[in-house]
Formats: sequence, structure tokens, C-alpha cells
Amino acid sequence: MTTTLFIGLDGCTFTVLDQLISDLPGEGITMPFMKSLIERGVRARLRSTPNPLTPPAWTSIMTGKNPGEHGVFEFIRAEDKGNEVFWTLYDARNVDAETIWSVASRKKKTIAALNFPLTAPAPENIKGAVVPGFIPAKHLRRNTHPRELFERIKQDVPGFDPKELAWDFDKEKQAMESLSADETAKWVRYHLPREEQWFRVAEYILGTDKPDLMAVMFDGTDKIQHQAWPWLDQSLLPKNPQGHDKEMREVCLEYFRNLDGYIKRLVEMAGPDTQVFFASDHGFTASNFVLRINTYLEEKGYLKWGVNDGSEMALRREASDFANLDWSQTTACCLTPSSNGISIRVKQKPGDPGIEPSEYEAFREKLMKDLYELKDPVSGEPVIVDLLKREEWFPGQHMKLAPDLTMVLRDHGFVSIRNLKPSIVHRPSPIGTHHPDGIFIAVGPGIPAAGLVETRKIVDVAPTLLYSAGVAVPSDFEGEVPPSFFSEAWLAEHPVKKGARTQHAKRMEMEQEMDANEQKQLLEQLQMLGYME
Amino acid sequence: MSESDRLVPKLVSLLEDFTQDWDRDSEAPMTRDTKLLADLGFESIDIIQLLVAIEQDITHKKVPFDQLLMSKGRYVDDLSIGQIADFLAQHTA
Repeated sequence: MTTTLFIGLDGCTFTVLDQLISDLPGEGITMPFMKSLIERGVRARLRSTPNPLTPPAWTSIMTGKNPGEHGVFEFIRAEDKGNEVFWTLYDARNVDAETIWSVASRKKKTIAALNFPLTAPAPENIKGAVVPGFIPAKHLRRNTHPRELFERIKQDVPGFDPKELAWDFDKEKQAMESLSADETAKWVRYHLPREEQWFRVAEYILGTDKPDLMAVMFDGTDKIQHQAWPWLDQSLLPKNPQGHDKEMREVCLEYFRNLDGYIKRLVEMAGPDTQVFFASDHGFTASNFVLRINTYLEEKGYLKWGVNDGSEMALRREASDFANLDWSQTTACCLTPSSNGISIRVKQKPGDPGIEPSEYEAFREKLMKDLYELKDPVSGEPVIVDLLKREEWFPGQHMKLAPDLTMVLRDHGFVSIRNLKPSIVHRPSPIGTHHPDGIFIAVGPGIPAAGLVETRKIVDVAPTLLYSAGVAVPSDFEGEVPPSFFSEAWLAEHPVKKGARTQHAKRMEMEQEMDANEQKQLLEQLQMLGYME
Repeated sequence: MSESDRLVPKLVSLLEDFTQDWDRDSEAPMTRDTKLLADLGFESIDIIQLLVAIEQDITHKKVPFDQLLMSKGRYVDDLSIGQIADFLAQHTA
């Protein structure tokens, strides 16, 4: 029987959700079922990973550990090899910590994990179903666990279409080619059938397999908020939207109305004895300006751009918008825009480019001073409001993979790493960007109708889900089961049990360098998601 | 029969499974001379997925595929099943 239903809502934020569950003039209540759940349950803001980004944040939700421990910081991993930097794609084998799917499986619980990133290839010990997210349709069959599940879904789920369900690069690219008014509406509309496909798969697995821990993630929330933020943030929406504004608002509401229907069906199928949880990997807010961080670092003498010699490789690189730097003359730079990180290049051996190891502290202090001095040319306000030192924010076995400094911008935006001037420009209109505060909601037996409680940490989700599923919480999890999420009577009857440490077998690592074409594809994806200028 | 010849049918059967949901233009049987990009409609990202699949299903260990993909400082344009078999025979013996 399904004791625990977990619905992930990528990028879901209370500022938007609260409007959708309110009775708005002319619109009514867009998500009535969600409203009823929230009224019967408990909710908290969920503080994301230091850089609130999909791969590290969902990995923290799945492992109960911070990125410094689980080792996933980004979509792409940059490896500094002195005179060149190589990029590799993260996959499940880079997750250097045991996931809740694996812990629950070891404790003889069955699981389903649908559409979560970094779940492919699935470890062999998983008892249950894994259909990974962020995998192109062409590779979904081989990455579905167990392998025969794909065929079962194909046979048994009416209208199942992997092309509609999975990440379709070409289709997404089309939507990006011209973000005219029409195209933006199409972009949102494109996610309607995608989400329906994931819902159908979830409905099928929940109905036939009845896993003890059932989890599905809907990611249209994130994508739509990136592209359609001005129509979701009521402070930006015209009072009485007309024409394109009206069309955009309506298609956004249609998406959330459908989502409410999927949630209703899944919760009702699971039944009244199931505890239901919702979490997002981060929240959302508006970004108003672009910081071209490498341009600023060049002005301050920390980096030098690579020369475009007109070769095919150089042209592809320029076109791919990838940091093309002169690595021999760069001491600090931002390698990937979604990292919001600055890497300091320290000599590994004499003759290497970079600074001397003994200079590190002084160098970093000066760099921080230079970064804090950067002011908005219009308002005079600081652009960077916080700089997170890696040893303080990413403790753990993989701390050294984290950027030396992680920037928090005044508007929470992502930086640009393009070779353009000036270093700061204001956007013509605001776009959606990630906010550190996501959502965490619970409802069901033993969960009080407590309303909003204290802010929780993203690493609290994993222990909460295992506890709900009747599994002892591994002693090396970094978070805790929030006492405010369960009634005293429930906790007395079901005490939180501490279990043994997680077990994690190192998996074969694949360090395949990406060629320029793949870098270009991936960067276009990131660009499309709004992580890049 | 050489090790490389023994690997060809294994690679063919892996590739048949690998590409079964793809819209392939040609239904011609795969042979040693079949090329990934020209004949099977691979894109670069698919090659990475295939290498993962080879490590999982055939070699069961990490293979230095960078030596297969890079030739004289640049990435190769295409690969045939035979080239992969020869490479695996050489590097996994």
C-alpha cells in the first residue's frame, strides 16, 4: 500500500501558488484542490541549496545531503586542466551519496521515482520503478528501470508517447528561436501535453504497482515561470489584461488548472491513509538586470578572453556562447552561468597558470572586495549582495568541486558569461529567475492543520519522506524530520527512528569530454531555460 | 574468429535494442560497416549514451573511449560498428 505520496513541483513558489489558490476577481480559484489540501495541512518555506539550481537541489532532496557531500553542483561539471577546461555532463553516477530510493529499497519498501533529474542510469538495487527526467525520448527505454517497465508503459498507458513526455530538444529550441508573443504562448502550451503524459504514467504506476513510496515530479512549473513570469507575478500583470497579456495569463492558468486536476486524481487514488508531501527545489522571483561577470573580472584584471582566431573550433565556441578564455592569463573566472560561481585558479605545480597556493586567502579577500564594490549604474545599489565561501557553504568530501565563491545577486538572477559590454545592463522587461525559498507542504493522517510554520531546509525532505514510509532515518542525513509537520499523538505513536549510516557503492565514473557540438546544445538548453543572457 | 569479430554481433544486438524506438530511415541489417551517424541517425549526444550502454552491457568496466573519439587532436566524424569492435578488442582484452 502507498503510505507516502511525494509530488515534486519544480520551482514552485508560494508567491505564485498563493494566488492560484485564492479567489481572484474574474478568474476564481485556479487550484481548488490544492487549496483544500493546504487548508488541511502544514506548510513551510523550503530553503534551497546555496545556489538554488535544479541538479544540486533535487539531489539534496533525494539524498538528504548538501552538494559538498553529494557532489552535484550544476548541469555541467567543469574540470580545470591547467591550460584548458573540460566540461562533462552530470548523471546519476556522479551522485556520490545514497538516495532515498535506494535506502527505502534496502529496507524492503517499493518505490517509484518519476521524472526526477539525475536518476539515470538507475542503480540496480532499486525495488520499483524509475522513469528518469531530463533524458531525451530516444534514450528513455534503456534508462527506465526495470528495463521491461518501458514496454509495459507503452502497452498499457493509452496515448503514451515518449516524444511528448521526454525532453525534446528540437521542439524546445524552436520555441527559443523567436520568443515573439505567439511563441511564448506556444512555449507554455507545449508543456500541457508533456505534463499530461507524466501524469498518465504516474497514474498507471500508482494504480498497478502501488509502491510504498510513490514520487513524481512535474517540471512545467519551472519552465513556465522562466518564460512567463510577467503573467504569473501579479505585481507585474496589468490590472485588466488584454490581447497577448490576456492570452498568456489564460494559458498559464490552464496549465495550473490541469496540474490541480492531476494532483487531485493522484491524491484520491492513493487514498485517505496516505500521507502526501509536496516540495520544490527552489522558488521563483523576477530578475531585472544582467551581470556579465567575466566582463567585470576582465576589467579588474582577473581574466583574459581567448582570441578568436577564426578557426572552426573558435567560431563554434563563440557561437556557443561558452566562456572562451585565455586560460594561461586567467586567475579568476565564472565557468558556467548557472553556477553563479567564481573559480580561483590555483597552481597545482610550478609553471602552471594561476596564483600561488600561499596567496589564496589574500587573493580571495581582494576579489571579494572588488566584487562587493560593483554598483548598479542606475540606482547605485550593490549588485552582489553576498559571496559564499565554499568551505562555509559546501562542507563535505566534494567541497573542492564547488566554486571558490558563489555569488548572490540583488535580484537573485543568474549571471551571464558572455563577452559583451557593459558589465551590467537592465532587462527591457523582468524575467523569471530562481529564488532560494521553495515550498514544502504536507497533508494526511498524523499531519496537523497547522498552516505556515518555520522555514525548513531542503535536506529535511529526505528524512521526512523516509519517516513517512516507515524507514529509519540514516544517521548521516544532514536534515531532520520537522516536528511541526506531525501531530504530537502521531509522533508518540510513531517515534522517529535513527538508522544506520547510508550505504553507497561508488559507481563507475564516465568522464567523457563533451565535444563543441554538445556543449552548444547544452548551452542552448540552459539559455532556453533563462539561465543565460 | 578474432575478438573483434566476436564483439560485432554483441554490438549489433545492443544497437538494435538501443535504436528500437527511433525513426530510422533504413531497415537494412547492421553489419561491421554500419556507421553510427551516417546509417543509424546518431547525433553526438547519442554517442555518449551508447558508450555508457557499452560499458554497462558489454565491458562491465570503464573504457578509455576518448582514444576512440579523438584522432589527431579532433573528434572523429563518424564511427562504424567495426571500429568500435576493434577498439574494444584492443583495450578490454
